[in-house]
Amino acid sequence: MLALVARGDHRAFELVYGELAGPVYGVVRQVLRDPAQSEEVAQEVLLEVWRTASRFDPARGSAAVWALTIAHRRAVDRVRSENACSRREQKVAPAMAPDDVAEVVEGALDRQRVHRCLGGLTDLQRESIKLAYYGGYSYPEVAQLLGVALGTVKTRIRDGLIRMRDCMGVAW
Amino acid sequence: MLRDDLHVLTGSYALDALTESEREDFERHLQHCASCEAEVRGLRETAARLAMAKAVRPPARMERRVLAATYRTRQLPPLPGLDARRARAARWVAGQSAAWRAAGARVLTPRLVAAVAAACVAVAVGLGITQAATQHQLESTRASGAAITRVITAPDARIQTARTTVGGTVTVVVSARQRAAVVTAAGMPPLPSARVYQVWVMSSAGARSAGARSVGLLARTGQDLLASAVVAGDRIGITVEPSGGTSRPTTTPVLALPLST
Repeated sequence: MLALVARGDHRAFELVYGELAGPVYGVVRQVLRDPAQSEEVAQEVLLEVWRTASRFDPARGSAAVWALTIAHRRAVDRVRSENACSRREQKVAPAMAPDDVAEVVEGALDRQRVHRCLGGLTDLQRESIKLAYYGGYSYPEVAQLLGVALGTVKTRIRDGLIRMRDCMGVAW
Repeated sequence: MLRDDLHVLTGSYALDALTESEREDFERHLQHCASCEAEVRGLRETAARLAMAKAVRPPARMERRVLAATYRTRQLPPLPGLDARRARAARWVAGQSAAWRAAGARVLTPRLVAAVAAACVAVAVGLGITQAATQHQLESTRASGAAITRVITAPDARIQTARTTVGGTVTVVVSARQRAAVVTAAGMPPLPSARVYQVWVMSSAGARSAGARSVGLLARTGQDLLASAVVAGDRIGITVEPSGGTSRPTTTPVLALPLST
C-alpha cells in the first residue's frame, strides 16, 4: 500500500491515513498530553508518512510499526527540545495518572491484551516501561523518578519489553 | 562503552528513552550487531502494540488538513538500496499471482502486476481495496480495529480475490505469521432483509463462523471482517443465512476460497 502512496496515490494515502491516524494521534497525545500540540505533531507525522513513503522498507516490518516509531520519536523529541520545566513539573509521573482520553477507537481486544501482559510484569518493569514509553521520559529520568540505579532501569526496561513481546506473541 | 552495556540498551532504544549521545552510539553499534538489530525490531513492534492500545479518534479537521497538505507536499524519491529489495518483492508478487491463477482465483492481471513493479506485498492490498473502493468501503476500513491494521500492513500479507457464484468479488488479505485474514466484499447482490451473507473459516474439522466482532456477518457488502486462527489449507466460505446467522452453514456456499498462506 505504501508503494502506491510513494507514487503519489492520494486514495491509497486516505486508506493508510484511516488505519494509522488513531494510533498515531493516540500515542502522541499519550506522551504530550496537550491536545492542540498533539494534533500538530500527529499531523506532521502523517504528512511525513506521505513524504517518505518511498523510503519505507517492508522487509523491516509493517507500515504501522514504521509510522508509530516515527510518531513516538517525534513526540519525545518535542518533549526534550522544549525546555519546558514548568510544564513537566506540573505533571509528576503523568503516565501513572488515569487515562483521561475519551473516545477510544476500536481495538478493545488489543488493549485488553496489552493490559494483561503489562500485568504480568514486575512493578519495576511495568513502571519503567510506562514512564519511558507513555511518559516520554529518558531512562535516566525514569531512574530518578523511581529512585533506582541507572543500570537497573536499563535492564528492567529490556527484560520487561522482552516479556511483553513474548506475552503478546510478537513475531520477530 | 562495552558491548554488553550497549546490548542492554535495546529496550531503552526501542522506547526512545536513550539520551541523544547514547542514541548515536547505539545506532553506530546497531550497524554491526545483527542480533541487536533483530532484537530491536521485535521490541519496536512490541512498543507499537503499546501505541495501538492508546489509539484515539483524532479530530475530523486533522484529516482534512493532512489530506490537503499532501497536495502541497513533494514526496522524497526512493533510496537506491530499496529498489533492489522492491524488485525482488515485485518478482515475488508476480510469482504469487501466477500461483493464484493456477489455483483458479481471479487475481491481478499481468498488466497490473507490471504496473506495481515497485510493489511489496501490501501493494496488492492497495490494488484490491483502493481501486474498487467506494466511499463506504473507505469508511468501514477506517472504522476497523488495530488487528485488521496489523494484517493489512503485515510484511507477509498476501491478497487473494475471487468472484462469488452470485456475483461480486471477495478479497481476502492473509498474513500467515499472524494466522489471520481480513475479508472484504464488493458488488455482491443485496439480500432480502431476513437474509445475510455469513463468512466461515472452513477446515477439515468443519466450518466455524469467522470474525470476533460481529458474528461473522457481511450484512452489507464492503464491510471488512477479521478471521483469526486461520492456517494454510483453510478455506474462506460465504453462505446465505437467516439474519442473525447460524452456527453451521445451511446453504451451498457462494464462495469457498482456499487460503494459500
